[in-house]
Amino acid sequence: MIISSAKPFEEVIELLKDKDDIFVVGCNACAAKLHVGGEPEVLEMCKRLEDEGKNIVGWVIPSAACSVASFDSLVEKNTAINDAKTILVMACGSGVSIISGIVDVPVYPSNNTESLGGRSQGEVIPELCAMCGDCKIYYFGGICPKGQCPKRLLNGPCGGAVEGKCEVDPEKDCAWELIFNKMEKKGRLDLLEKVWTVEELSE
Amino acid sequence: MSLTFKDKLKSKDFLITSEISPPKGTDLKEVIEDAEHIRELVDALNVTDNQRAVMRMSPLAVSRTLLDAGHEVIMQLTCRDRNRLALQSDLLGAYAMGIRNICVMTGDHTTKGDHPKTKPVYDLDSVQLLSIIKKIKKGYDLAGNRIDNPPDFLVGAVSNIDQSKSAQMMKLRKKAKTGIDFIQTQAVYDIGKFEVFMESISDIEVPVIAGVIPLKSAKMARFMNRNIPGINVPDDIIDTMENTEKPLDEGMSVCAQTITELKKLCRGTHMMPIGKHNNIPKILEMADIRKKDQC
Repeated sequence: MIISSAKPFEEVIELLKDKDDIFVVGCNACAAKLHVGGEPEVLEMCKRLEDEGKNIVGWVIPSAACSVASFDSLVEKNTAINDAKTILVMACGSGVSIISGIVDVPVYPSNNTESLGGRSQGEVIPELCAMCGDCKIYYFGGICPKGQCPKRLLNGPCGGAVEGKCEVDPEKDCAWELIFNKMEKKGRLDLLEKVWTVEELSE
Repeated sequence: MSLTFKDKLKSKDFLITSEISPPKGTDLKEVIEDAEHIRELVDALNVTDNQRAVMRMSPLAVSRTLLDAGHEVIMQLTCRDRNRLALQSDLLGAYAMGIRNICVMTGDHTTKGDHPKTKPVYDLDSVQLLSIIKKIKKGYDLAGNRIDNPPDFLVGAVSNIDQSKSAQMMKLRKKAKTGIDFIQTQAVYDIGKFEVFMESISDIEVPVIAGVIPLKSAKMARFMNRNIPGINVPDDIIDTMENTEKPLDEGMSVCAQTITELKKLCRGTHMMPIGKHNNIPKILEMADIRKKDQC
């Protein structure tokens, strides 16, 4: 899941300062699950923009903003998009990019895109994967040090953790503490002893 | 000709290194003065590399200045601010400028420093950088291209001293495998713990130079315990610092006692005086270390 968060409404208003006849595109994938681009949020956005004096020509929520095939496929869902002079996309950067590529009017984002993460047991977990294109997560017990460690260290911890908490964010467990404990439990510390040289990594 | 740090590392001497922080600015007067306080008392000066991620003058420039003033230096090099091109490039530059000793570390994260929004690099980690230095010394860069007149560095790495931190100990072993010449450690206050650490790495044949930081107050000890990773000042030392009327003197005395104990356990001590280089001669005298005559 792509983790994105809503920009402050003031920033959205500033972006749309001289714009009108706005069509809002949500996203029923990650953004909806994170409550920053699903139907309730799209309706709320339309209302707040109208309260600010904007004319909202319509809205649509494609199953995934990043996978919209063509402008026509949006028209099929809501013909009002033909009247739009501005489009606001409530999705991640991929969604904004795809929509920007298929329409002729200016497209603005309402979200900030942060990382590739997930959601489990009601909790949003950011930075689970660094999208490095060279997956080695198995060697680290399913906890990717490139995603979870701010220094992306593959050969062991940095020595900056205090009482098991990350040097960068004391609220967060040190990724290497988690990795080591998990591998110790599994009896697979041998996997961590491997020296990762630059030559064997594709990055 | 006087002995180099490399020669001394091969001897049985108890070695003394200290730390010099580059200036926040372009005036090198203080650096030269700090180094002058300890001339001939220390075997080499570590020149820090944007320590604690605070932007300061390049360690390469400061190292060269100290070399010109007749000091031996260990240039520190972190993985935080340079990618693999810049690291290799600075290594070649350092050697050409006369720097013969380097000490490699990951580096504190940029969020801890005075430019917290800096994009941290960490293109390589310390183990990878150490492996690359080994390759460069053999005459090849990371990409396998030949290097003319390859540098012959003496290479150091750093370590915390808590043997119970198994993941860190595992990483230290990886560093040792790259063929490092010395290890400098975080500050030691608990000699018992340090002894356990030394026993746990008795199979690693790399000289260990144990860090010390003279305490200035009980407050400083508590602050470091809370905030500096790998530092653990035991309660009895904090009590001693609390109950003395002269905390600075007591801090130096505690430091000297630690050094006296370290002499029995490892190959040297790395003194991190935090701006008080003028106290080092006294601490070394209290620890009964005389280096001047033989240097």
